[in-house]
Amino acid sequence: MTSAIVWRRRRAAAGRLWDQFRSQRGGLFGLVILAVIVLLALLAPVITDPSGLDVTHATGGALKPPGDGFLLGTDETGRSVLLLLLWGSRVSLLVGFAATLLCVGIGTIVGIVMAHFGGWVQAVLMRVTDFFLVLPSLVLAAVLSTVLTPGIGSIIIAIAATAWPTTARLVRSQTLAVESRPYIERSWALGAGHWHVIGKHVLPAVLPLVFANTTLTVGQSIITESTLAFLGLGDPNSASWGEMLHNALQVGAVTARAWWYLLPPGLAIGVVVLAFMMCGRALEAVLNPRLRER
Amino acid sequence: MRIRRLGIGVIAMGVAILSAPVVHAQDTAQPKILRVGVTGTYATMNPFTAYHLGDTEVGRVMYAFLTSYSQQDYSPAPGLADKWQVSSDKLTWTYHIRSGMKWSDGQPITAKDVAWTFNKIMTDKTAATANGNFVTDFDTVTAPDDSDVVIKTKAPQATMLALDIPIVPEHVWSKVTDVGKYDNLQYPVVGSGPFTLTNFTQGQSITLKANPDYYGDKPAYDQLEFRHYDNEDAAVQGLKNGDVDVVSGLTPTQYAALQNTPNITVNKARGGRQNDLLVNYQAQTNTNQPVGDANPVLKDPKVRLAIAQSIDVKTLVDKAYGGLAEPGSGMVPAVFGTWHWSPDASQEQKFDLTAAAKTLDDAGYQKGADGVRLDKSGKPITLRLVIDSGVPNENASAQFIKGWLGQVGIGVTVQALSSDAVTDAGSKGQYDLQLNGWTGNPDPDALLSIQICANRPDADGNGNTENFMCDPQIDALYKQQLSETDQAKRVKDVKDLQARLYSLDSSIVIAYPNVLEAYRSDRWASFGLQPAQGGSITHQNGYYGYLLAKPVDSAAAGGGNTGLIVGIVVVVVIVLGGGAFLLSRRRRASADERE
Repeated sequence: MTSAIVWRRRRAAAGRLWDQFRSQRGGLFGLVILAVIVLLALLAPVITDPSGLDVTHATGGALKPPGDGFLLGTDETGRSVLLLLLWGSRVSLLVGFAATLLCVGIGTIVGIVMAHFGGWVQAVLMRVTDFFLVLPSLVLAAVLSTVLTPGIGSIIIAIAATAWPTTARLVRSQTLAVESRPYIERSWALGAGHWHVIGKHVLPAVLPLVFANTTLTVGQSIITESTLAFLGLGDPNSASWGEMLHNALQVGAVTARAWWYLLPPGLAIGVVVLAFMMCGRALEAVLNPRLRER
Repeated sequence: MRIRRLGIGVIAMGVAILSAPVVHAQDTAQPKILRVGVTGTYATMNPFTAYHLGDTEVGRVMYAFLTSYSQQDYSPAPGLADKWQVSSDKLTWTYHIRSGMKWSDGQPITAKDVAWTFNKIMTDKTAATANGNFVTDFDTVTAPDDSDVVIKTKAPQATMLALDIPIVPEHVWSKVTDVGKYDNLQYPVVGSGPFTLTNFTQGQSITLKANPDYYGDKPAYDQLEFRHYDNEDAAVQGLKNGDVDVVSGLTPTQYAALQNTPNITVNKARGGRQNDLLVNYQAQTNTNQPVGDANPVLKDPKVRLAIAQSIDVKTLVDKAYGGLAEPGSGMVPAVFGTWHWSPDASQEQKFDLTAAAKTLDDAGYQKGADGVRLDKSGKPITLRLVIDSGVPNENASAQFIKGWLGQVGIGVTVQALSSDAVTDAGSKGQYDLQLNGWTGNPDPDALLSIQICANRPDADGNGNTENFMCDPQIDALYKQQLSETDQAKRVKDVKDLQARLYSLDSSIVIAYPNVLEAYRSDRWASFGLQPAQGGSITHQNGYYGYLLAKPVDSAAAGGGNTGLIVGIVVVVVIVLGGGAFLLSRRRRASADERE
């Protein structure tokens, strides 16, 4: 009986949220773009032939401009740039989402634990967070991805390991704010344990913020992945957008003015990151009453 | 207010940029500098430990050698020694050192310096790192007087006129206690070559000044500079902007694009480098201790044969090298004519994926469920292919190799590492397959010496091996060719060695890439190519490219200056305009933000 009420209330809240989100034109636009890109990424194996990614089956000439059956031209080994772009979206999105999940997970746990327990736990964790915060993240990510066994997994870990402190601090401050409210005190008085307070009260109150933060972090993770790949630290076994840019630069596409090899991955990164940013900002505005226009 | 000051700062900077070069242009006594854009590794200026391509190239202009390779056709030519003779038993060589030569600090160059250098390499293991292969059979090296060096060898040695060893000044180096730790950067570094090293900033630039005491031709300009770029495209942009005058190591794409660029001339030469695929199957130190973590399945010669049969060098040359390379076969590059070997029909391991699959089928490697073959313990065969993420064609080559091997049922994971990490993995045997390359000399000895047991690394990873090759037959042939003074017989030994190496499938030679370079023809009229017909400017077995570079006359150079000034004016206008725009925008923004 009570759970039915809870669910009805949650549905109503979600509905309100959606209404407010819908009223933000930028956010909606970003969401539509994202939906299209994610759909294309998921459908890539269905709508294209993956054997075209194998250089030994490539049919085109080297660095041919768009036309002649290749909508976006070819790369240096005669593969279709459009095909690479489509398949690259899978890697970029996968790394973006996985790294964000990992980084937000670590950040949320560390942040809540810090604020909730306080004392020496906070002192220790805070110093660790600060330590990671002051390290130049790109350099750390570059070092990590070289030290770990090369591959997508290491890149995800490298990005997550460098991006979590911001989330942790954000979550910590939000937790502090939530825990100072009277209803938490009432819980304590009624005999709630740590688990109950964190699970039933703090986490639900912090999650919206975490969610908005996640959307923004995905964009950043995609950029970091592309940067690492561009610097030659990516995984050459999978065609990501950063990897495409890296290869383009390596073969001298700039000198050859092969814009069709350089622009698409660059623009794709820009568009996806922009879409995530738009969604994230809109979410933030919806979830944070102070940012909401009244 | 703070923002506004920033804007004024930008304008002030623009004014400073505008005024600076005007002063510069009036200064007519500017040194004439040849700037070379480079992207490779420059690790050390110590000639005893320098074996990176870039390091040895700088070494060649810093130090003179006992004998040299002629510019015309690589034939032996005088160096510090102007004449030489050999005893009838071919064991005693006497070199006459030309008189009146001076080190760049004014001290005389004598036979004693030569003897000291060779003795150092013979007695100090670290000093033998780079060029130890030349002296292993030396018995004694003495200088009975200032003008004669006598080298006695234990066995006849074929490389006595190709001793590729920089001769160093005894009065400087005898004071060095640990050759391995000495950086040789006491400027100006005392040398005997056409240029003297005056600065080396790792990862940035190397500066050398013309050496007035050099015994041979004097360069027609004052200073030689190597400027580091992070990647080849940046170097080419530097060339287009006029920041550098020569760029080497162009990719085929860049070469094609630069062919039609005004003021830039491209140069293509047959290359003395071989690029190969290493198959790691016998990684051991020089005391036979196994090292590394190679897949044991590679110990099976059938597996290696199948790998060799799966590599189509012609397609690689066409696609990964843009056709600007010669397809590979023997270890010694085709440009070194007589020494080069290619397999006949009975020896050839032809590209044939069906045959490769059959080789593996016959050897008992069955395909698993996902199409990848299983080794004898039932594990899928997946090989790591280590490549240098900074070398342009390696990624493309790796993708092809991965594709072909995948088709015969061998999984490949490409690992792109930084060049330092590749070197590290190489010396520790931490790879299954690796793309690699070595540059040869006109004399094949050095290139063959990386295939003998004695040159495998020690426990610390120091050694000059290519792929841990250790084969009694190869060792015997290597020894035989080194002591063979009859040219025809030595050629046969060298070819037999390459044939044996080919049959072991340890280093599968892919291509001998062309040397692709470009230079500013509005500033430089000509360079000393080696070989004189169709040769290269950079990476020579000599220093003629830099030594004989001729600037265009100063009248024509004026045009470049005008261009520079026009360019600066344009930049200043943009900066000023941008500054003004920034200012006005900032002001508007602050107005908007006011409550």
